[in-house]
Amino acid sequence: MRISIPHMGNLYIPLKALFQRLDVEFIVPPLTNQRTLSLGVRYSPEGLCIPFKLTLGNLIEVAELGAETLLMPSGYGTCRLGYYARTQEQVLHDLGYDIEMIQLGVSEQKFFGLLKIIKRLSNGASWFDIISAFRFGMRKLNALDRMEKLVQKVRAVETEKGTANRLYDEVISAIDEADSDKVLEMVEEDYSIRLDQVPRDSQDRPLIVGIVGEFYVLLEPFSNFDVERELGKLGVEVRRTTFISEWIKFSLFLNPLGIKEKDRIHKAALPYLKRDIGGDGWESIGEKVLHNKEYDGLVHLAPFTCLPEIMAQNIMPTTRENIPVLTILCDEQTSKTGMLTRLEAFVDLLERKRRGSKCDRKMVAI
Amino acid sequence: MTRIGIPRALLYYQYLPMWKVFFEHLGAEVVISSPTTQAMLTGGSARVVADTCLPVKVFLGHVLSLADECDLIFVPAVRSLEEKVYNCSKFLGLPDMTKAVIPESPPILETDIDISRGKNQLYREIYRLGRHFTRNPLKVKQAGLTAWQAHLDYRELMFDHKLTHIEATEKICGIPAEKPRTAVEDPASARTTIALVGHPYLICDEFINHRLIYRLEQAGNRVLTPEMITTKELESAIIRLTGGAYWTYEEEVVGAGGYFLQNEADGVIGIMAFGCGPDSLMMDTVRRHSARTKGVPFMCLTIEEHTAEAGVITRLEAFTDMIQRKKRRET
Repeated sequence: MRISIPHMGNLYIPLKALFQRLDVEFIVPPLTNQRTLSLGVRYSPEGLCIPFKLTLGNLIEVAELGAETLLMPSGYGTCRLGYYARTQEQVLHDLGYDIEMIQLGVSEQKFFGLLKIIKRLSNGASWFDIISAFRFGMRKLNALDRMEKLVQKVRAVETEKGTANRLYDEVISAIDEADSDKVLEMVEEDYSIRLDQVPRDSQDRPLIVGIVGEFYVLLEPFSNFDVERELGKLGVEVRRTTFISEWIKFSLFLNPLGIKEKDRIHKAALPYLKRDIGGDGWESIGEKVLHNKEYDGLVHLAPFTCLPEIMAQNIMPTTRENIPVLTILCDEQTSKTGMLTRLEAFVDLLERKRRGSKCDRKMVAI
Repeated sequence: MTRIGIPRALLYYQYLPMWKVFFEHLGAEVVISSPTTQAMLTGGSARVVADTCLPVKVFLGHVLSLADECDLIFVPAVRSLEEKVYNCSKFLGLPDMTKAVIPESPPILETDIDISRGKNQLYREIYRLGRHFTRNPLKVKQAGLTAWQAHLDYRELMFDHKLTHIEATEKICGIPAEKPRTAVEDPASARTTIALVGHPYLICDEFINHRLIYRLEQAGNRVLTPEMITTKELESAIIRLTGGAYWTYEEEVVGAGGYFLQNEADGVIGIMAFGCGPDSLMMDTVRRHSARTKGVPFMCLTIEEHTAEAGVITRLEAFTDMIQRKKRRET
């Protein structure tokens, strides 16, 4: 049985590790590229969002490579995403691929449901093996996310632009190749030190921009035109609270125990939005309110026609906590140049704003 | 007497008799906005970002038009009507969004309908709504029960007499339809039977759909809409097509689509708003089903505020002509 799953950021690395340990053949989809997008766009119903198009493109590409069992996240109470697996299965069948689609309902199947699916896929490997493979996968995921957080900080202040990105690309493949906990630890330590040693401008107090918005476009650089790297080039430090490792930690282990990571964010959003509207709309508003002192500005990423984010976009300007927000809608029609121009203008605005606020303070002091 | 404004948009078509009976029973006066006009649509569109869907823009336009005419505006948040089947984000956060983009509106009377959280929660929510008018829980209960009965009667009327929402509200609540329907009296004399599939706020709002029903009937066709079918049939059609509902109001699209592609209709027209999240998937399910079964022709009309009337007419004519040709060939 050859299995595969669409891309979302670096998620393929831990999954590959997990399935390799269980001796299941796991096909990594070709890195999301222009062809993936074209395929996805061609076979998607019109009016669907970029996460659907890109994941469908990934699925078609792995089906071409001979994958037979495809995993796709689903679940109710989210947004349209819960329905994607059903439609994508129909599309693939209509295209003549004989595949089985397994829906991963993370919110309803919980940890044990997920383990059961893994057990089924691994032809009944022992529970011990499954859990140890799962833990190894989680370790890789955590390592990747820790590295990414470091890189986000270094990118903004490095003197030679591009060093952090180069190291980041290296560490991703090093983590991917690590085959034991020990190697993994060594890789992580090694690269943490190397990232720390990147020459940086110590005088620089970079602008801080929070990135909020829809889960998939936040995590899949292809869909957001690598907005974080671009902001790094402009000397901006990016903060993001959405990471796959955090999300898995909470949705699988802590939410069932009643600990909700987003409680603080939701509470902050309450005066403007009282109810969960599915997807990440509630969080987008909450983060704007919660971090308004900490961030200089927000970049709000949303797929075109995303239901919850449109609501967020409508409500966001009315909050009293007033920090600049740049909404970028991601779609196959969006041009990177256009986005770069807007990012530059936005960063200029934030810089002027910061200088302006400094001047005000001086005048008060005199 | 408190005047409660009900915008003539979104869920108005499904639930007006129920809401009206409930509030009137509690001693309030119900004010309903007039049918959609261009000014309403422009006013609503100006308040929100461009990607917001047409029905929501229309809804906000109605709220704006009611702003000076009532003391409270009723904006429910219908979250789920069945366990673990949720509604579109725009319905989930409708009261919050209305408040955010129309700060000058009268206070909003909001209520959360969420069956997934259990029946007790629902009763409590109804009581909380009633508390605005009376402190007597029994009176609220009575109002709730009468309202529910009114809703059942409304649904039955539509099934039994094959009426659209507009005609049924006209009969029950005495709110005249904008243009009298020129129904073909004898089904046998109709040239073809066309079923419309989609949400009532699109099918029934004659302004945004360019008088679709009227035009089809003028051309001598019989028109069927989802509310004329029993809920049971619609649900079984959903199960046949997708295995179970994912969206609230899926029966109006997938259910009705599945039903009409097999029964009663010579052609099915799906009508959806541009950028509608749920419909983009549900209409596709229906389209795919019709393509597979190769039986009854299906056409999907996407509408938005720029849709040209002439374009709609051309497509309707082409579609009905095609069906007639098909019918002639078969006989």
